[in-house]
Amino acid sequence: MSAVAEGLGALADPTVLLCILVGALAGMLVGAFPGITATMSVALASAFTLTMDPIPGLAVLLTIYVAANFGDRVPAILVNTPGTPASISTTFDGYPMAKQGKAGIALTTSAFSAAFGTFGGLLVLIFAAIPLSRMALNFGPAEMFALVVFGLTMVVGVSGSNLLKGLAAAAFGLVLSTVGRDPITGAERMTFGVLELSDGLPFIAVIIGLFGIADVFDQMLTHHAGTATAIKNLGRWMPNRSERRRMRKPALIGTGIGAVVGALPAAGGDIAGITSWSASRRLSKTPEEYGRGSVEGLTAGDSASNATLGPSVSTTLALGVPGDSVMAVVIGSLVIWGFNPGPGLFASQPDLVYTIAGIMALATVLTLVLSLLRMRGVSKLLELPPHYLWTVVIVFCLVGTFAVNNSVVDVAVMLVAGVVGLFMRRLGFPAAPVVLGLILGELAEANLRRALEIGGVSEILTSPIALAFLVVAVASVTLPPALRRLRRSRRRDRRPVS
Amino acid sequence: MHRISNTPIRALAVSAAGLLALTGCADRQGDDETADFPSEDITVVVPYDAGGASDLAARTLVGELEDELDASIVVENRSGGAGSVGLDHLAGQDADGYTLGYLPVETVMLGHQGYDIDPSDYEPLGQIVSVPATIAVPADSEYETLEDLLAAAEDEELSVANSGTGSIWHAATSALNEEAGTQLDPVPFDGGAPAVTAAVGGQVDAVVAGVSETATAAEDDQLRVLAVLDDERADAMSDVPTAEEQGYDVSIGGWGAIGAPEGLPDDVREALVDAISSAADSEEFVETIESSGNIAVNVGPEEFQSFYEEENARFESLFSE
Repeated sequence: MSAVAEGLGALADPTVLLCILVGALAGMLVGAFPGITATMSVALASAFTLTMDPIPGLAVLLTIYVAANFGDRVPAILVNTPGTPASISTTFDGYPMAKQGKAGIALTTSAFSAAFGTFGGLLVLIFAAIPLSRMALNFGPAEMFALVVFGLTMVVGVSGSNLLKGLAAAAFGLVLSTVGRDPITGAERMTFGVLELSDGLPFIAVIIGLFGIADVFDQMLTHHAGTATAIKNLGRWMPNRSERRRMRKPALIGTGIGAVVGALPAAGGDIAGITSWSASRRLSKTPEEYGRGSVEGLTAGDSASNATLGPSVSTTLALGVPGDSVMAVVIGSLVIWGFNPGPGLFASQPDLVYTIAGIMALATVLTLVLSLLRMRGVSKLLELPPHYLWTVVIVFCLVGTFAVNNSVVDVAVMLVAGVVGLFMRRLGFPAAPVVLGLILGELAEANLRRALEIGGVSEILTSPIALAFLVVAVASVTLPPALRRLRRSRRRDRRPVS
Repeated sequence: MHRISNTPIRALAVSAAGLLALTGCADRQGDDETADFPSEDITVVVPYDAGGASDLAARTLVGELEDELDASIVVENRSGGAGSVGLDHLAGQDADGYTLGYLPVETVMLGHQGYDIDPSDYEPLGQIVSVPATIAVPADSEYETLEDLLAAAEDEELSVANSGTGSIWHAATSALNEEAGTQLDPVPFDGGAPAVTAAVGGQVDAVVAGVSETATAAEDDQLRVLAVLDDERADAMSDVPTAEEQGYDVSIGGWGAIGAPEGLPDDVREALVDAISSAADSEEFVETIESSGNIAVNVGPEEFQSFYEEENARFESLFSE
């Protein structure tokens, strides 16, 4: 227990507390800016924190990490623009809620869910870091491939009312994911000689285009037709008792899924959010509300994507291997500060683990308070006349997208994605499956090819984890319609009897 | 984030003006270019993301270089295409000394892998880091020495993880195959860390990665490093023998230099070379690089130029097979 006292004691230093405050403000600011990711801001900050002592330095980096993931939700809810892939699921229900005049509740619900998820994830960091990291080590290319295939079945969930159009959109996303150099041979594919495309389509630019820009384009067109509905009414701020009750189950589902996904190397908040949203929809009593402004859906997605933070840190510390791209930066700093991330760290410096958990917990509380205070100010943005708001959104998207890689090509991709997104929207194709196909297609292909390279088909067929995921994937697509048919035919059988 | 410090620039301008007045009579060469450089902000293009090893080396050096040159220097990350995006951008900038770049080993590799990158478009001003390759196996692997591993790889294919297609570690695996006549099968991952994880988890038979990438896992007994593919042992793992000590003549690894677009004016070049050399010798730079597990070096442009050309020729022949 002395390690706990010692670790948390390190937080009593006013410098550390100041660093947490600075990190929270910086993180929320960058989070609210579409395109600027937590990875980027942590990477930039790490150049400065390297010259600091480790604990204050970690306080800045980890707080930015937590706060940026919070701030992310605001543009997703208000203007349908996910700041990063982790808040894609936030747009599913958050934006519809805002359109229905419930932006206030959406923002508060999102903030509380995010905080709940973060705390759930921190419990994993404190109590289950070592066993969970062992599990993560078993995830090689074959297992990752199977997991990603399972993830792709989520397309069914996020397709909305028309499954065929959803599948078509997902297929389009998969095709887009093949742009760039072949992951194994390095051969160029569909890059049309554009150097910037050799790493594949920049997916942040695609996401911002498909969601935010497409929405602005759409509004501009409908506005001229005189039917625009600007979000004026923010409604209540605090969810009422029945809404709070409905948040419980999805929050638990989300936190559980986020905790597991977060521990896997290379899988992060985007996969967790979408998986949890779909799972929660399946288990819900009111699945038809999902995607149309459901408090449950918003809670499930946001708690899951934030629950990945703690396990991601624990994988990083326990394996010495980054749990996500932000952690890749943090690990670099840790090594330079003289820490040695890996299983040994928990034995040799348990106090550091508690300090880290403590920093993240404080950061969560502070960010929650700041978000609740700040929201009214931010949402003033919506009181702008629509044409000003559109300008603000487009400028933010342009600047944010350019800043990711200092690349004009990214900006062009974003604008093209905006136009494509507009057409899809007009023709009734959902955007989320495209993003899912784009992100997961790349992972699926690279991991499948790696697995085949390592051990051929048997590499996949002899892995129990991979097989289990593949079976679940097939079942989740085929079982629900089969059951429905079975139920229907039973009912028909029964009718003549009764 | 803007590190614009007006006072030193102004001070420099004043002193430069004074210097000009003094040298003006004695030396006609003292025209504005020499005495004034640098009179504005300098940009250093890093062809990889912020936060990586190359970025760290560049940013740490830049911190010292700002003092040496008494100028503001901005680091600009232009990542993508295995580094080709940033390098391509650098090649297109004016050769006036105000745009420099971090030149990784990929500068001499990409041109042989189908990217439109020509090493002669750049003028190296000094090498600052070296990252020897290591080959490591999972801690519970049956292979105890490099010889064990290579002997087994003569008869059957062994999977060897690396950080990506065409990466220096991929090339290092091929170099081992060439030297030992083995069938090490390079499996490209998406970065160095996932490659090392795959070896720690026993997903692959071995991994080839930089010293800094395998050192941490080796210290925790998750990996066994069989050899350092360098002329000398690495400080971070002094008990690991080199490949040469074990009878295999393979020396390959990553490196990083500071360079500029080809065609710098001589005086600007001289000022930069001196400043880079002093910065690379500074305690701050050496300590940061060494604590990250890599090796800080300070190789002047003349010596480095021949190495640069040798490396270019080496990768040309390695990739033509």
